[in-house]
Amino acid sequence: MSKPAAVRSAFLLKSMNRRLKSHAAIIAIAMSGLTIADAVKAEDASAGKPQSGGIIRYGHFQEPPCLYGGWVQQWYLQRQFSDNLVARAEDGRILPWLATAWSVSDDRKTYIFQIKPDVKFTDGTPLDAQAVVDNINGWLSDNPELENPTAGPYLKGVFESAAAAGPLTLKITLKTPFEPLLNVFAQSSQGILSPTGLKRGKAVNCESPVGSGPFIVEKWNRGKNVIFRRNPNYNSAPATAKHQGPAYVEGIEWRFLADPTIRYGSLLSRESDVVYHIPAVNWQDANSRFKIVRHLTGGTPLRLALFSERPPFDDVRVRQAFAYASDRRAAVQAAFLGSLPYEGNFALSQSSPEYVGELSKSYSYDVEKANKLLDEAGWTVRDANGIRSKNGKALIIRITYTNAFSPPDGDQVLQIIQQQAKAAGFDVRLQPTNQADFWAGKNLGPNDYEIVPLYWVAPGAEIYRISYKPDLNGVRNPFNPSRYQDLPLWDIIQKAEQTADKEQRTAVYQQAERRIVENAPSLSYTVLDVTLALADNVKDIWLDSGSVGEPVFSDAYFTDKK
Amino acid sequence: MSFATSSAGHAKAFITARVLTGARRFPVRVYVAAFFMAFFLIAAIEPKLLQTHDPLMLSLTSPLKAPSLTHWLGTDQSGRDLYSRIVAGTGHSLSIGLGATALSLALALILGVTAGLSGGWIDNVLSRLFDALFALPTLFLALLFVSLLGTSVPTLVIAVGLGTSPGYARMVRVQVLSVKATSYVEAARALGHSPRRILFKHILPNAISPLATMFTLGVGQAIIWASGLSFLGLGVAPPSSEWGALLNAGRNYVIYAWWLEVMPGIAIAALALSVTVVGQYVQQRLEGRIELP
Repeated sequence: MSKPAAVRSAFLLKSMNRRLKSHAAIIAIAMSGLTIADAVKAEDASAGKPQSGGIIRYGHFQEPPCLYGGWVQQWYLQRQFSDNLVARAEDGRILPWLATAWSVSDDRKTYIFQIKPDVKFTDGTPLDAQAVVDNINGWLSDNPELENPTAGPYLKGVFESAAAAGPLTLKITLKTPFEPLLNVFAQSSQGILSPTGLKRGKAVNCESPVGSGPFIVEKWNRGKNVIFRRNPNYNSAPATAKHQGPAYVEGIEWRFLADPTIRYGSLLSRESDVVYHIPAVNWQDANSRFKIVRHLTGGTPLRLALFSERPPFDDVRVRQAFAYASDRRAAVQAAFLGSLPYEGNFALSQSSPEYVGELSKSYSYDVEKANKLLDEAGWTVRDANGIRSKNGKALIIRITYTNAFSPPDGDQVLQIIQQQAKAAGFDVRLQPTNQADFWAGKNLGPNDYEIVPLYWVAPGAEIYRISYKPDLNGVRNPFNPSRYQDLPLWDIIQKAEQTADKEQRTAVYQQAERRIVENAPSLSYTVLDVTLALADNVKDIWLDSGSVGEPVFSDAYFTDKK
Repeated sequence: MSFATSSAGHAKAFITARVLTGARRFPVRVYVAAFFMAFFLIAAIEPKLLQTHDPLMLSLTSPLKAPSLTHWLGTDQSGRDLYSRIVAGTGHSLSIGLGATALSLALALILGVTAGLSGGWIDNVLSRLFDALFALPTLFLALLFVSLLGTSVPTLVIAVGLGTSPGYARMVRVQVLSVKATSYVEAARALGHSPRRILFKHILPNAISPLATMFTLGVGQAIIWASGLSFLGLGVAPPSSEWGALLNAGRNYVIYAWWLEVMPGIAIAALALSVTVVGQYVQQRLEGRIELP
C-alpha cells in the first residue's frame, strides 16, 4: 500500500513535535482531507484514475451471529460500516481517523482527543465527543446490550472515565498508564456506532448496525449474504486510506460461501470478484491466476491451549513433552501445502512487533525428549498399545475443536498431532464440535477437554492482558483458555503496559514471551491469516494490516465497466 | 395340528425350500454382489486380513499419491494408504447400516403391530404420527437426533434408525391389517385360540416375512444416510475412516486427487448395491417371481 506524500509529511511533523515537546508529549497532527485527496489525485494521474460504479461480489467464509462484536469475523464486517477513533499503520504508528489530533499527559493517564468536525453517522446523527463517550461507556458497562467483548477485557482494569470536555473534545482518564490504549482503539471492534442507533437495542443493531463508515448495511440475508451500499456522504476515511470521500464502488455483496472449494470455484467462474482464504490445494493455482493480498495476523498464533488447571497438563513437564511429541512443522506443511507458515513461537504471531523469531525454533520434534519428560513426571506405565498411565489413569488428551477457530485445512494438523503423539504414549482423542454447539459451551466444561485450539488476534503483544491474565481476587478470566495462572508473568505484562518508551516496552513484552514459551501453556502451529484472491479487473482492495487485516473495500474500483 | 398352525409352518418350509433349491442357479449379478458382500464382511470382522498398510500410519513425504502398485487406491493428504483406510472404515459403515436398519425395523414392528392390531383411536393416533414423521425428510430427522445426542457410532445408528422407521412402521401396519383379515386367522379365532397365540403363531410370522427383504434393502439405504451425515461432519470423530468422513475429508482435493472422492464413493455404492441386489433377489424368490429350477 503506497502512502500519500502528505501523510508522510504529517508524520515528519509528528516526529518533530515529539522532539520539541518531549515533556508534554503533545502529538498534534495537522492534516486535512483535501491535502490527502490532492496527493492521491497526483498518484492516480500516473496510475490510472479509479472509476466509480459496480458492486463487489465478495465470497467470505464464516457468518457470525451478529454484524459486529468480539469475534474477528465480526470485525471484518464492522470495518465496512464504522470508523475508529484512530488508525494504526502497518509499522505501528498511530494515525488520525475520527480523532484528528490527540495529546497525552505527563503521567500517561489522561488522553485528550480532538474529534473530526462535520462527520455524521448514516442515520443522520452528528458525530461528537459525547457520541464517542456513549460508545466507550457502553463497551465497558456490564450491560449485555452494549458491552464490548474486546474492549472490556483490555480496558476494564485500567479505565477511569470518558468525558466530553467540549463538543469535539474527548477526555479519557486511566487509573494506571496503559500504553496499548491507542492500539485497542484502532481495532475494528472498537468502531464507533451511532448512539441513536444503539438505543434501538442489540437485536436490531446486530441486523442493521449504524456507523459513519464508507458503507451502509442495507440488508442481511442470513445464511446467504450481507448487502452493503455506498455511503454517499462519507467524509471520514482514515489517514491510512488511499483516498478520502465516498467509496468508488456502489456497494458490496458480502456472500457467505463456507465451502472453500465452492468459494474458490466462484472466483474461477467469475461469480465472485474477490474471495477469502484460498484452500491449500488451490494455493499455487491461485497465485498463478490471481492477485493475492494477505496479512498474517498479529496477537496470539493459532495455538492449542493446554488446560493446565488439572492433570495431566498441570505439570509443565507433560506440557513440554506434548510439545516435543509432534512434528508440527511437518504437519503444517502437509496440511497447508505452503499456503500458511509454521509458527513455533507459542506466545506471539510473527507479524507482531514484539515477536522473537528464535523462539519459533523451540520444541522441535523429539520423541526421546518427550519420553524422558513423561518418565520424570511419573507417567511410566504403558499398556499394550503404548499408552502411558500414572496411578491407574491413562494419559488421555481430548481436543475439543471447531471450524470457527481453525482454517479449513486445520483439522488435518490435529489428526497428524494425534497420530504422532501416540509414539510418546499420549492417547489423543479428537472431539469435533459444530460451531453453534461450541459457542454454547459443548465439550468445553472444566472436565470435558485437555486442549482447545484457539486464536485471539491483535496488532501485537497487548493480547497477553486478555489471554494470560490470571484469576485475581476471585474473578475468573474467561479468556484464559489454558487456565494458566502465572502471577510473575502478570507482573511482567503489567510492567510492559506501563512502560512509555517503545523499545523498553518491547523488551519487557519479550520477557513475557520467553516465559510463556518456556512454560508452554499452549502450543502453536501456524497463524491466522487474511488472504484475498482478486479478479484481474478489481484494484485497490487492501487489508488493514495495522489492525488485524480487515478487508477494506472503500478504495476499490473496477478497471472495466460493470 | 390345526389349520392355522400349519399355515405358518408351510410358509417357513416354502421359504427354506425356495432359497435352498435355487442355490445352484444364481444369476451372475448375485454372485458379484455376494463376492462384494463377502469382501466387506471380512473387512468389517477382521480388517487386518485385507489391509496392505496401517490405516493410521502417516507418511508426510508422500501425500496425495495417485493409485499405484504400492498404494492401490492412492494416498490421502497425510500420506495414509486410502485402500487400507477404506477397509478399516468398513466396520463402521456396515455396523451403522445393520444397526440402524435393525433398530428401524424393531421400532417399526412394535409400533406397526400395535397400530394394526389395536385399531380404534390407538391406530388413529399412531397412523397420524407415522404420517407426520413420514412427511419429514429422513435426513432432517437424523440431523435432529444427531444434534440432540452428539456424534458417535451409536448416535448415527439411532439417528438413521429413528429417521427411517416411520416408513417401515406404516408398511408393517398395513401388513398386519392384511394378515389379520385372512381366512386362517379368522379360522383360528373361530377355534377359540387366545389373542396372544394368534399374534405369535399366525399374524407375526406372516407379517414379518416381507420385512426380511426390506431389511437387506434398508441396510444399503442406511449406509448411504450414515455416510451423508458423516460427510456433513456429523459422523464418527477423526481419525476414523468411516466412508462418509473420507468423502468429506477429500472434497477439497477433488480436482487434484480424484481418488479421494471416487474410491470411497465406489465403496459406498458397491456395498449398498450388493446388499440391495441380494435383497431384491431374495424378495423375488420369496414372491415366486423367479422360476424354481
